[in-house]
Amino acid sequence: MSNSDGNNPLTGLSNAMADSVEKAGAGTVMLNARRRFPASGILYDSDLILTASHVVEREDEIPVVLADGSEHTANLLGRDPGSDLAVLRLSSAVDPQADFAGQEARIGQLVLALGRPTPEGIQASLGVVSAVAGPVHTRRGGLLERHIRTDAIPYPGFSGGPLIDGAGEVLGVNTSGLTRGASITIPSGLALHIAQSLAEHGSVKRGYLGVRSQPVEIPQHQQDGLGRQQASGLLLVGVEKKSPASEAGLMVGDILVGFAGQPVADPDELFTLLTGEVVGKPTAVEIVRAGVRQEVTVTIGERK
Amino acid sequence: MISSIDLSVNLADLCQRANQSLVVVQNGRRGAGAGVIWRSGGIVVTNYHVIHRGRPRVSLLDGSEYTTRVLAKARHIDLALLKLELSESDRSSLPVAEIADSRMLRVGQIALALGHPWGQLGSVSMGVITSLGSLPLRWRKRAVNVIRTDAGLAPGNSGGPLIDASGAVIGINTMIVGWDQGVAVPSHVVNEFVEKALGKTVLPVAS
Repeated sequence: MSNSDGNNPLTGLSNAMADSVEKAGAGTVMLNARRRFPASGILYDSDLILTASHVVEREDEIPVVLADGSEHTANLLGRDPGSDLAVLRLSSAVDPQADFAGQEARIGQLVLALGRPTPEGIQASLGVVSAVAGPVHTRRGGLLERHIRTDAIPYPGFSGGPLIDGAGEVLGVNTSGLTRGASITIPSGLALHIAQSLAEHGSVKRGYLGVRSQPVEIPQHQQDGLGRQQASGLLLVGVEKKSPASEAGLMVGDILVGFAGQPVADPDELFTLLTGEVVGKPTAVEIVRAGVRQEVTVTIGERK
Repeated sequence: MISSIDLSVNLADLCQRANQSLVVVQNGRRGAGAGVIWRSGGIVVTNYHVIHRGRPRVSLLDGSEYTTRVLAKARHIDLALLKLELSESDRSSLPVAEIADSRMLRVGQIALALGHPWGQLGSVSMGVITSLGSLPLRWRKRAVNVIRTDAGLAPGNSGGPLIDASGAVIGINTMIVGWDQGVAVPSHVVNEFVEKALGKTVLPVAS
């Protein structure tokens, strides 16, 4: 095995990683959207750039440098501080765009974080996927349904750049703006979904119910009434006036246990279900009122 | 498909082989640094800041020790060239490192740092080439080419080699930036320095 003919598995891996960086680096751009701190962005359509919201401090005439060194300008189409994503539109269509991975990241998978904070060339750091996990509360009061954590070092200016796999396909968008002192990755599926909404509407549509709640235990006999094992629900401690919840007759003291056919055991689960898709739609809300299970139809509003 | 078992065995073999050309550079009370046997005849490359003053002593990982002579120093690129004082039998047996052509490097390729971080002799850390760029020199209107890596470096790695996936030396580790990024002087810059110091042409060995 001690050979240096270039055919050992390690040189194979090394070349494959350099190829991945070259491929994905071609769709990774440099953004000068805040003073003195350049960051990175991902070219995901011929004139659309996905990046982190916190690195975008100006809205117009944002200087962009492509992989080939050419200079362009872009303007902000929309941003979602809750998920720290922003979409910019280039003044002209360019090539090449990034390829996105069809499958979600797996724990232990070898990954590279890319960034282009200088015109000198692409930058990369190596790591493995440490965790792929459910909802995480973000600094700006948002909630990210899924996120990826890695041990790849997030160098300055890597925010808005891609996390890539061994094939040079994008697994997610890196940002250090969501959690203090750490970098997390927004999975590609979720990021592209949000990007589409930002490109079309300039913001992310989220559902609005109009309740304040806290998790409470559901006694066993009431669980029997639900016909399923569910240890907790959401006790409504406030219902906003003229909100979708009050219009539908939800009251303080009701225990919300299900939404649109899905059990709801904590506030994060409710938040996750209140997506843009349910806005304006009559939706079944399952409650326990005075110990009895009921279903109430609520027409979900839009969170402004 | 790459087998992770092959990969692991391959990596261990490679490090064992490359560590044969790795040396410890002792300089009195100033602590230890690392160095590489760059050419036959006992020519060792290390960092300028490791030897600084005096006559450093060099030892191999097998325990053999040598006194040295400083042939050349270049503070601006933090390099120094030492010549080991060898006996006749040592002359042929010293394992010379394989040197790669560092003008062909690519970001993302594997980089392994060999050295003695915190005094732990012959340690290895793995990462990739993070970026290829230049570092401006403070007191000259020039810049020097550098390799940046995310392979973990610590005091004691200074002067040691950064090697590629085939075990060939791509650079000499010189410093740590903010504890999470290492900077190495590429082999072709080291070769220019060695060439100038020895007054002879040193051809890069293709890997």
